[in-house]
Amino acid sequence: MKSSKNFSILRPFSHIYIEKDVLSHPITELILKKFPRSILIEIETYKEIFSRSKQNYKLQEMSRKLILAKKRGEFIYPGPPLCPNFGHHYFYYTTLILNCIFSCDYCFLKGMYSSAHIVVFVNIEDYFKEIDILLKKHPIYLSLSYNTDLMALEKIVPFFSMFMEYIDLKMDLIIEVRTKSAEYKILEKLKPKENVILSWTLLPKEIIKKFEPKTPNLELRLHAIKKALEYGWKVRLNFDPLIFIENWKEIYLRFIGEIFKEIEPHKIYDISIGVFRIPKDYFKRMKKIFTNEITLFPYEEDKKSLTYPYELRKEMIDFFLQNISTNIPNEKIFII
Amino acid sequence: MIFLITAFYHEAKPFIKYFKLKNFQCSKFEIFSNNNFILIISGEGFIKSAIATTFLLSKFKTVDKDIALNVGICGAKKKDFSKGDVILCHKIINHHSQKAFYPDILVNHQMKEGILESFLIPVKKNNLKGEIEGDIIDMEGAGFFESASVFLPPHNIHCIKIVYDFLDYKKIEKEEVSELIEKNIPIIENFINSLLELNIRVYEKPINEEKLKDIIEKLKNSLHLTVSMTYELEKYLKSYIIRKGDIPKEISEFFYIDVKNKKERKDYFEKLKKFLYT
Repeated sequence: MKSSKNFSILRPFSHIYIEKDVLSHPITELILKKFPRSILIEIETYKEIFSRSKQNYKLQEMSRKLILAKKRGEFIYPGPPLCPNFGHHYFYYTTLILNCIFSCDYCFLKGMYSSAHIVVFVNIEDYFKEIDILLKKHPIYLSLSYNTDLMALEKIVPFFSMFMEYIDLKMDLIIEVRTKSAEYKILEKLKPKENVILSWTLLPKEIIKKFEPKTPNLELRLHAIKKALEYGWKVRLNFDPLIFIENWKEIYLRFIGEIFKEIEPHKIYDISIGVFRIPKDYFKRMKKIFTNEITLFPYEEDKKSLTYPYELRKEMIDFFLQNISTNIPNEKIFII
Repeated sequence: MIFLITAFYHEAKPFIKYFKLKNFQCSKFEIFSNNNFILIISGEGFIKSAIATTFLLSKFKTVDKDIALNVGICGAKKKDFSKGDVILCHKIINHHSQKAFYPDILVNHQMKEGILESFLIPVKKNNLKGEIEGDIIDMEGAGFFESASVFLPPHNIHCIKIVYDFLDYKKIEKEEVSELIEKNIPIIENFINSLLELNIRVYEKPINEEKLKDIIEKLKNSLHLTVSMTYELEKYLKSYIIRKGDIPKEISEFFYIDVKNKKERKDYFEKLKKFLYT
């Protein structure tokens, strides 16, 4: 065989699959306007693409496709045991989008889903209806961005802004939006909400470079946080996951210094700390496809999940806690 | 390995000539091959195509990086296409079950794209009944795709169709079929090469498994490791290689230790683990 003259990977979203039921949904139309060159393919259900057997997540990450679908069945799920509830009894999460554009090496999504393609459930109005029903029973603490990064995808689909509009005056609903995005400009146009926590995941620059090269760098994330605080938003810092790397003590010490050089600690709403952990089944699937430092670490099993050996995780948490508690009071620290 | 499935000899002939394929002895099907390609002639219809695909992919024991292509002529529903256009199908529908199949198209290519709909019987304009979603029509694609999906990942299964008529043909001219396919072989070959490059990126192993196996064997013997210890050691070694690029030279110091008892074994094993994770 001769070598390929023109080998190149197709641009992301070169193909957009659309469920027939949502072809004329306003969100579908809004998204399609942003991708005039994409090939559009009608499908019956997103599972025809997303749940095919033998898909290769690693290859699909190189050329992700977009799937526009209608969410059916459950819209709101009880909070998963590996995620913190920050003291809220009625802890839930929701999935408006499946998968994320950032492709972090340690991300559980690589093991949770068999496909790397991004599913957007366009019928956001049905989510709002379900939340309204649940709110009649009790208050809700709702995490919006566990299975994606909603703020990072705002330019493609404005779900974050739509939620901010919906949440107005719903004081029984507290929303957490996790992100690694540096897109603070969205916040310029919105009024800060008392019942919204913008929750930035931060990692040292050495770890960002090595394990999450597609994410905004630490400086950009810190700049976005500063802006969010300046505009009056509540900001949570997630030091979750803490990732083991050679010289981790030195790296994390410098990292803490860098953060609080930029951000005034008293302005932070709270923080969470947790070492890398992943459900055993997800890890098994992830390991089949990805051979890297994350998947080859000799983890220990702890409550159906895999994590660092006990001594190491204790050492990491203690070290981090000791060094961060000089900046943040204990009552604002949640350890997972 | 690249598996080619065609319905007729005249669709296969240009590939046999271009890739210099030799006849492979088989009593059930006509098969031609060389070191990189195996081509099977299935016969007409998607049942025969499914049978031939299953036969081929199970007889030659596929691995995930293998590629299966169904190549052949088709009829186009509309005049958006021209005779001789080569189409990469992004949706393949079995007209009768209404089941649809989707390949993962991840690499750039020089073909047009379209929807293929497969029928059990030859379709002509005057016998078209009901709605047809496909841009192009054939009799094999859906059978091939459903079968190949059992064996291979969706980025390595593709239907490539060449427009022969506009559902208005009277007789299929065999030589003309061969000519149309022959003209498009460079485009198809380029696509195959792109798929091969894509696969290299994911299936190439970063670890020299033989060298690793040899070292594990030596350590297992010198330290009298149990099965679970050996398994754990493999994880530590792989992790070290990924982080540092190779196995540490100093590991040879552990090759010549002859442990005397369980305690000594445990101590050396812990020492080895610590050495591999600092």
